[in-house]
Amino acid sequence: MTAALVETALKIAFVFGLNLSVFAPILGWVERKQSAVMQDRIGANRADILGFTIIGLFHTMSDTIKLVFKEDFIPRGADRIMHTAAPALALIPALVAFTVIPFGGKYMLWGHQVNLVVADLDVGVLFVFAISSLAAYGVVLAGWSSNNNWSFLGGLRAAAQMFSYEVAMGLTIMGLVMYYQSLSLVTIVAKQDSLLHWGIVWHWPAFILYFTCAIAENKRTPFDAPEAESELVAGYFTEYSGMKFIMFWMAEFVEVVTIAALCVVMFFGGHHLPFITDAGLIDAFGGTGSAIANLLAMAIHIVTFILKVIVLIFFQMTIRWTLPRFRYDHVMALGWKMVLPASLIWIFIVAVALLTGAMPRL
Amino acid sequence: MATTIKKVRRNVTLTLWEQSYVPEVLRGMFITLKHFFVNLRGLALELVTGDRRDRKISTIYYPEEPVIPPIAYRGRPVLVLGADGKEKCVACGLCEAACPPQCISIVGGERGDGERYPVRYTLDGTRCIFCGRCEEACPKEAIVMSDDWSGLCGYDRSKMIYEKENLLVPEARLARRMAFMRDKAFGKDRY
Repeated sequence: MTAALVETALKIAFVFGLNLSVFAPILGWVERKQSAVMQDRIGANRADILGFTIIGLFHTMSDTIKLVFKEDFIPRGADRIMHTAAPALALIPALVAFTVIPFGGKYMLWGHQVNLVVADLDVGVLFVFAISSLAAYGVVLAGWSSNNNWSFLGGLRAAAQMFSYEVAMGLTIMGLVMYYQSLSLVTIVAKQDSLLHWGIVWHWPAFILYFTCAIAENKRTPFDAPEAESELVAGYFTEYSGMKFIMFWMAEFVEVVTIAALCVVMFFGGHHLPFITDAGLIDAFGGTGSAIANLLAMAIHIVTFILKVIVLIFFQMTIRWTLPRFRYDHVMALGWKMVLPASLIWIFIVAVALLTGAMPRL
Repeated sequence: MATTIKKVRRNVTLTLWEQSYVPEVLRGMFITLKHFFVNLRGLALELVTGDRRDRKISTIYYPEEPVIPPIAYRGRPVLVLGADGKEKCVACGLCEAACPPQCISIVGGERGDGERYPVRYTLDGTRCIFCGRCEEACPKEAIVMSDDWSGLCGYDRSKMIYEKENLLVPEARLARRMAFMRDKAFGKDRY
């Protein structure tokens, strides 16, 4: 009982620590630097402590300090309660969705089985979709409660866009669920123990569609019409400052990590190494009985998982700084007229392939 | 540096391949990633070799790094101090005549051996328009537009009037510009 509690507490601390204190601040720096180097610029590099700049990493710190001490501004006529609650409503779903993502396998440590996922739900996939659609509330409320036309338009756009892509996003994954015959992310990962069983092998069209939907859901360029700084000032968070403003940014970055982690779990074999099974790795370190072997395998699996996540984050950042913003009606047209039919066609193809045996069942 | 002109296709109807987004998105990402990795390699190389030419990004860290203007740049006009320690100027007054804003005034004199030289050579920095006519007019390569662009402005106009002593620069430091002007005058296309 105590062991289970300690295990859960440690896992929660790991997930939250990884997201909030490692990925979220670093991504702010990555976004600046990667875009700069991509566009033949140098990027922010002037903030220094005693002459050391460590390639601009101090800018993240100085930004945080600045924003913490900034005035927390609520405009006249705004709904004070909703205006305060909205940033949290945007951030919390992004974090909660991470609880069902397995970042490792199952290990025996001193007679206690450790399953590296905070909550092993049978309906993990559905839970992720359910929770991530809650993020729309934060955005819509932020836009509505600010008492500002630009915010309101941004909130409206965000609502329409997020709900449209929600539909398509759920459907793109259904082919994968049929293939693995499970809605549990833990089971889906466990079934990807060999390179040929990775989701990307058979389901790369689903990956493209899912990735498109996920970026649209996260409202990042090329789908950042709700933000649209050239049209709507800053969209739904125009009237936010200080820590509340940071929370919207953190929500965005945490969602970037969540999307990357979900893609890794569903399409890129989760924590699995390409050519060695979990059991094989533990055996290589000295058998299932040894706690050291289990610990070593666990460390390697977590590092593998994080590396895969980093690659996918890099991929997302590249897309964000490559493509210009879609026009708003194009965003909706792409969602309803291209991605949704394409995902339905893909479900049909997978169903036929599974029934006729063209695609092996797992 | 050879410049290539790339032909860009515009206003054409997209093919089905292009309309399907994905291949074109990947093509765009390939371009940005190419820039990313080329620049990253340049930055890493610069870190190892310390040579700023290895950096593919053309940004100059200005106060820390000197800005070196291109050779055709016309900065502050200076008088050439020959290798023998004497100014090359013979006070013929051609630059004085060529100068459109009339910022040059020369008082000529003769040395003991009969050679002419400027006793005073005054260049009014507040009037100079950096056109380079003096440099073109000079038959003795005695006045040259240097690449010195700093310190041209000031708060006191009286301090912006340069006398001969402020204008003399050793010939060795101006050799590249003088070679450039020679090639320009004789129609070579070396630069």
